[in-house]
Amino acid sequence: MALDLYRTAAQIDAAVAIADFGSARERRMEAVLAALRDGDAATLNARVEEAQGLLAFLPAEAVEPPGSVFDAPAVPDDFSVVATDGSHIDVNRHLPLRCALVNIGGCRLTYGAGADAELFSRPRLRTSDAELFLRDPDTPSARQAVEGALMGLVRTVEEAMALAEAVEADDSGLPTLALLDGTLVLWELGGELPPRGRYPDYVREQLLDDGLLSALERIRDVSARRQVAVGSYISLPNSTEVVNLLRLGLCDLDPVGHCQTHCRALVPGTRRCDAAHGLTDRELFERTLAPGQRSAVFASRSPVARDAYGAHRVHFFYVNVEEEIGRVEVPAWVALDPASLSLAHALVVDNARRGAGYPVALQEAHEQAVVTGADREAFRNMVERALEERGLPVYTSQKQRTKRRPWV
Amino acid sequence: MTTAPQAEARIGEVVEAGSTEFAAECYTLYGAPPLGALVRVGDPAVYGVVYSVTTAALDPGRRVAARGAGEPDEASVYRNNPQIARLLATHLQALVVGHDRAGTLVQRLPAAPPRIHAFVYCCDDADVRAFSEQLDYLHLLATASVPAIDEVIAANVRLAAEARPDGDGFRASAARALAEELANDVTRLKAILRSIQ
Repeated sequence: MALDLYRTAAQIDAAVAIADFGSARERRMEAVLAALRDGDAATLNARVEEAQGLLAFLPAEAVEPPGSVFDAPAVPDDFSVVATDGSHIDVNRHLPLRCALVNIGGCRLTYGAGADAELFSRPRLRTSDAELFLRDPDTPSARQAVEGALMGLVRTVEEAMALAEAVEADDSGLPTLALLDGTLVLWELGGELPPRGRYPDYVREQLLDDGLLSALERIRDVSARRQVAVGSYISLPNSTEVVNLLRLGLCDLDPVGHCQTHCRALVPGTRRCDAAHGLTDRELFERTLAPGQRSAVFASRSPVARDAYGAHRVHFFYVNVEEEIGRVEVPAWVALDPASLSLAHALVVDNARRGAGYPVALQEAHEQAVVTGADREAFRNMVERALEERGLPVYTSQKQRTKRRPWV
Repeated sequence: MTTAPQAEARIGEVVEAGSTEFAAECYTLYGAPPLGALVRVGDPAVYGVVYSVTTAALDPGRRVAARGAGEPDEASVYRNNPQIARLLATHLQALVVGHDRAGTLVQRLPAAPPRIHAFVYCCDDADVRAFSEQLDYLHLLATASVPAIDEVIAANVRLAAEARPDGDGFRASAARALAEELANDVTRLKAILRSIQ
């Protein structure tokens, strides 16, 4: 047995026993809830602006009164929900051929009088240098290998491109919600101002300007002709941007929010604003949102979203989809247009209800995209067989060999 | 019977084939011919009698969940979950009962099973009449070990009788052929004959 589950279980029990689920946490939650209820968007935002650069955490920007809640709007009679998701097999140096596979899956679900469904998946093998490296057009020798975290970003961009394509291809004229899984904020790419991302500018230009933002722009173009809202859905979100914003309502130091000046020497958990310590936005909105309701809209202040997204600056709200609190991220042009925002809210709630707590369109897109363990094994065998048929050397590392055929 | 495909319609493709039987996936959900129907696959033709029809999730790893608790009727379950129809598939299984050998119809097993992806056609009345001119195929059916084969035989005889003007005459001939085939198992024979009427 590789993992001793018996010992692991004992440690899990011990960890749960000391976790902070008690009354102290409840009192802290009450304080944060009060800050949410009493919080005034303009005051909180002004405090953030004033403390810019001195804050020890990343707060959201309030776009509506932070404590407000909104019932789910009525669902149109006829509409469609389009979603895409992706999965990939990363470059594997134990394989004799340098390649990666990206599989984009998606669906278009049409509801109402013309109820119908279309499911699709498009696998694409990346083998050429142009597909396996991002290059700096100005310095051809500078390049970044598309693998690991960068492969994840490339896949996200391909999901968005496939979503734009599916939205453009739909000539039904129906109100449409286009959904991605996960966050719209490619935070790894960083902003123009410090803290910089971990990748050079040409990577950001190719993945963001010519990638995600270009896809969002294409969907925005379609929205000029018919009602289309685009967004992404995050199940069980762990973000704390709203809680962090409320820290500026909890802080009673002068000047407010100058963390670096006042609290630099303090251990997290002992600061004035630490009623919020360890709480997530999701836990907060579990207390305030009834089934179907959404929270106020907030805007992301993450460096990349702030500097680089323009009209697509990421906004978000939380929504009670009955089984959980989900986070919906939408570009500014959706968030700030009441009709689009209503459509996104109504259709996320409706689609999650049909999917027992998770949007059914994302479930089906995932099912179309998923690459299972068996698929990965089959893929490796296909690569080896193709090489053998052409008389090319097939080799693998000894490490890989012993993993595939463990011996006693 | 309302979902039964039209005569001589192409209804699906072979997805699994052996010497004595084959399985096919139907192009449309619930689009299988009735139990006991004669189907034709490939070229040269191999004939089969449908002995089982199943509808289930396309992906064996995904179980179908009940979705209609809040729906007024079955149709609205499908309408409000339009993806379901794409995630389910109807399969048929057929016993091989004959084949075309150089233009002659023989009611014996072919030398090789149908190929995978061979098209499956539902035989029209003329095909059924032509095929059931001989009754040697009843031997292949009567000796097959599949569940409820007697019901399949009876259904097949009823369909073949319905495909001709003199249905009763055909029933009588089929009954005689089955009496010879099942001379040693009167209980089974009686059950089939009761079902043929």
